[in-house]
Formats: sequence, C-alpha cells, structure tokens
Amino acid sequence: MIYRVFLLFFALVSSVFADVCATDDAGHVLCLPTVAQRIVALSPGATELMFAAGAGNKVVAVVDYSDYPPAALNLPSVGNYTRIDMEALLALRPDLVITWVTGNPPAQVELLKALDVPQFAIEPRTFEGVSSVLERLSTLAGTEQQGFAEAERFHAGIAALSEQYRNAEPVSVFYQVWAQPLMTINNDHLIGKVLQLCGGVNVFGDMPRLVPRISAEAVLEADPLVILTGSVGGVSDGQLDRWKNYSRLKAVARNNLLFVPASLISRPTPRLLEASKYVCQKLDIAREH
Amino acid sequence: MTRSLSGLAAIALIAVLLALAIGSVTILSLELWQVIQGEGSALNRTLIVDLRLPRTLAAFATGGLLAVAGALMQVLLRNPLADPYILGLSGGAAVGALLAMLAGLGTLLISGSAFAGAMLATFLVFGLAHGTGSWTPTRLLLTGVVVAAGWGAVITLMLAVSPADQLPGMLYWLMGDVSYARTPWPALVVLGVSIVLIMPLARNLNVLARGPMQAAALGVSVRPLEWAVYLLASLLTATAVTTAGSVGFVGLIVPHMLRLVLGNDQRIILPASALAGGTLLVLADTLARTVIAPEQLPVGVITALLGVPMFLYLLHRSR
Repeated sequence: MIYRVFLLFFALVSSVFADVCATDDAGHVLCLPTVAQRIVALSPGATELMFAAGAGNKVVAVVDYSDYPPAALNLPSVGNYTRIDMEALLALRPDLVITWVTGNPPAQVELLKALDVPQFAIEPRTFEGVSSVLERLSTLAGTEQQGFAEAERFHAGIAALSEQYRNAEPVSVFYQVWAQPLMTINNDHLIGKVLQLCGGVNVFGDMPRLVPRISAEAVLEADPLVILTGSVGGVSDGQLDRWKNYSRLKAVARNNLLFVPASLISRPTPRLLEASKYVCQKLDIAREH
Repeated sequence: MTRSLSGLAAIALIAVLLALAIGSVTILSLELWQVIQGEGSALNRTLIVDLRLPRTLAAFATGGLLAVAGALMQVLLRNPLADPYILGLSGGAAVGALLAMLAGLGTLLISGSAFAGAMLATFLVFGLAHGTGSWTPTRLLLTGVVVAAGWGAVITLMLAVSPADQLPGMLYWLMGDVSYARTPWPALVVLGVSIVLIMPLARNLNVLARGPMQAAALGVSVRPLEWAVYLLASLLTATAVTTAGSVGFVGLIVPHMLRLVLGNDQRIILPASALAGGTLLVLADTLARTVIAPEQLPVGVITALLGVPMFLYLLHRSR
C-alpha cells in the first residue's frame, strides 16, 4: 500500500517536474516542460504523422496541401511550407512546431529558434525512421500509447512484406516522379526503398542525387520491365503515354506501364505501408505479364 | 525644396506606421501605441518588435538604396533606361547567393556571398571598361550589359542543375524578398551615410547630366566624379541586393517619377529618391504579406504591379 502511494506520488511529481525529451532528425534534443498541447505542423507529412501518432486533436495549424487525414482540411493554414506566414504562426501561440529539415526555409526556422518557439525537425528517410518519428512525436505530445502502437503496426507490416518478398523474382523498375522534366528517385529515397522491399530493382538506384533528372534516352537504354508512376487514386492519367511510342521497350511490349496512388507513396508516413502493399501487388502483376 | 522633402518624409512615416499595424494579425492603433511605449501584450510585442519592425525598416532601406542607386546610374550613363542592375551587379550577387544556397550555407553566409558577388561584378565591369583605349559611358554601359547577360546565363545554368527542394528558395531570392532580411541596420547606415556623402556633389551631378563636355567646360573634373558615382551606386546596390535579393523596378521607376513631379535637380532628386523608394517598398511589402495571407508573395511582384500603372499615369499626365 505504502509502496503504491509512493509510486503515485512519484508519478505526480515527475509529471510536474520532469521534462519530455526527444531527439529530432537534425540531431537536436528537444525537452519540453510538459507535453505539447498546441502543435503546428509545417509540412503535409508532419500533419499526417501527428494524426497517426494520436495527437491530431492537438494540432492547431497546418500548411497548404495538408489533405490527410480529412480532419486536417478543417485546420487553419499558416501558408505554404516554402514560405511560412510567421505572424499567423506566432499568433496561435504554439508550444511545439514540427519543421521539415530540407523543406522549410532555413531563415524562417532560425527565426523561430531566435524567438524561443520549441521546434522539432523531422524528415524520415527510412521505414525505421517513420516508426521512430511516430514514437518520438507521440512522446512529445503525451500520446505514447497510440503512437507506439501505430509505430509497431507499421514496423510489423513492413517486416511481413519484407519476409514475403525476400526471394521474389527481381523486376527492373523505372519510377517516374515527374514527366517534364523527367525525374526519378535513387535507392536512398523512400520510394526507392519501397521498390526494393517488393523485389523491384530501381534502374536508376545508384544515381548520386536523391531525385535525379534523367533523359528519355537513359530510360530507353536501361529498358526496365516496369515503368511506374504516381497518379491521383492510382488511375491511369496519361503521364506514361509518351513511352507508348517506344514499342520496343520491354515495359511497353509487356503492358507494364503501371500507376500507384500518389498520395500514398509521396509522404514519409504510415500510409507507406499501404503504398508498399500496392506496389508489391503491381510488381506481382508485372511478373505474370 | 524643403516642402516637398518634408512632405515625402511624412508620407514615409505614415507608410511605416501602416506597415507596423497591418499584418496577418491586425494591431489597432491603440495597441500599436502601447507597444511603441514598451507596453502591450507579449504577442503584440513579438509581432511588432521582432517581426514587423526589422522587416519594415529593411524594406525601407532597400527601396531607398535602390532608388538612389538608380538615380545615380541614370545621371552617370545619361540613359533613361539605366537602373541599378543594368551593369550586371544583381547578376553577380545572385550567382554568389545561389552558390551559397547550393552549398547549404546559412543565411548570414548567403548574404556575405551575395555581397562578394556584387562587388566582384562591379570590379569586373570597372576593369573591363577601363581597359585600354578611350573610356565613355557607352563603353561602360555595353560592357555592363554584356557581363549581365553572362551572369544571367550562369544563373539559368545553376537553376537547371539545382535539386528540386532548393528551387523555391532560389526563385524567391531572384524575385526579391524582404522576409529573409536579418537586420536592417547595415542597409540603413549605408543609405544615410551615402546621402550625406553625395549631397555636396549634387550640384556637379546636375552639370554632368547635361553632358561631359559642358561639365568639363564649367570646371567639373568629369572622370573622377564619374568613377565616384559608379562606385557609390554599386555599393548602394550591393547593400540592397544583399538585404533583400534583387527587387526589381524600384530603381528604375522611382527616380523617373520624382523627376516628372519635382524636376531634374539632383539636390532634390537624390534625397527624395531615398524617401520615395523606401516608402514604395514598405507599402509593397505590406501588401505582399497581407494581400492573400497566409500565403506570402515576394515583394518584387508587387513593386512591378504598383509601379507600372503609377509610372504610366505620371508619364501620360506630363505630356
């Protein structure tokens, strides 16, 4: 009994005095005196991650294009992620701002620092990074139960796919990020990791830049078995029609011009698990063609 | 003379107060007065003292610097199309700034690199135009325009090879944007000091504007005066570009507008350019950050949108 009272007392004291701490993706340790209550997410991905971490009801503002989950559409915007309306941001008196390491302008992030607004920079580059950022965000928001559960669900789902496709027949893939100028991703990009997970071999995986610009000639030379791109809802939208002119391309000859829903695959969030399942199924179809 | 200048100063003061009051959060006059006295809520103080005041002063200084530099360039080159950027200075600064952004350097180093690029461009044109043979404003102009085209090519090349996530920052820098100005003080000091330095020369500039022969005949030592004006205008432009990127239009339009209204006396035009250029950019920046808030426009867009109709109206009226 006394032990229990002591524990209760200790829990109360610690919740008053102990800081909540987490390390962000830029390597800075952030300690908050109490769990965050008023959070601003400065990238669409951060918004999605906050909701996934169970802290959606603590998000007071987002940036443009924060369209998932649907509840995020009702939140006020503080501008574009490349140009934040600092006045609107400060007027909301946030006690935590989730920034985007390479997306937000450095000058504005520095200004936030100068004004002593607690900030946590994120940019998951791996599947483990997604699970870990869910855990860290939920720690800061005091929603560990939901956040850690979601992280575990994501982790287990990816592990299961990895196990399932460990010995799958390799399929060469060209992932078209953008048609004009023609852009793709290398193996360090999360989309590249999704391809690898499903037994896909990214024909431009070894390019030095994360999102390289390439020529149509390079694609013809690589002659991938599958050409994949993101589109609204994963429906064919003509983005790959240019390749149909090259009937000697294996991907064209075998009818492997395939689409995945762009909203699933373009953000480093737990929806990547769905995206991965989708891509794996598409590559299975390509193997049968 | 003093009447028109004090009128412009009053308009400038009103513009600055307006810029302090208006924003994504509008602060009413009473609250603004409280903040000026050092009171008011913590949020209002942060908004005004930490965000709006540095930005407004930086906009004023940038506009003033560009307008004075433009007025000087127009006298120096005796060409109504001359603006602060015509000799490739903004191109050099842009190459410096974009290189620093590509290297992932911090804001302070981006500013430093922009300034270095601007000064490099200045001395490059200075050296090339100086060369052997006779020196004329036409030669300076042609050298500058060709060097500017070269910088333009380098900028396009850099934009073409830059990673996609760097592009927004680079484009906003090229369009001119006061929101990244860190501190207004260097620009304000350069503006103030150069106005004090140039005023005694204004009389000689009036003579120079009528042509070098007349100026020489009237006892003005033309060559040293021209180089002094070139270097001063370059320093002003370099400071402006370092503060806010290459904001267009102010340097071309403001001196012309003032000449249409006040006449072509450099003793009035130079200080009036400082005031009117500053006012125009303060108003433009206020619009840029409020007109479609929370979206933030680069100020360069607004200066052109405001400046073109204003200028055409004055030109039409003067006929």
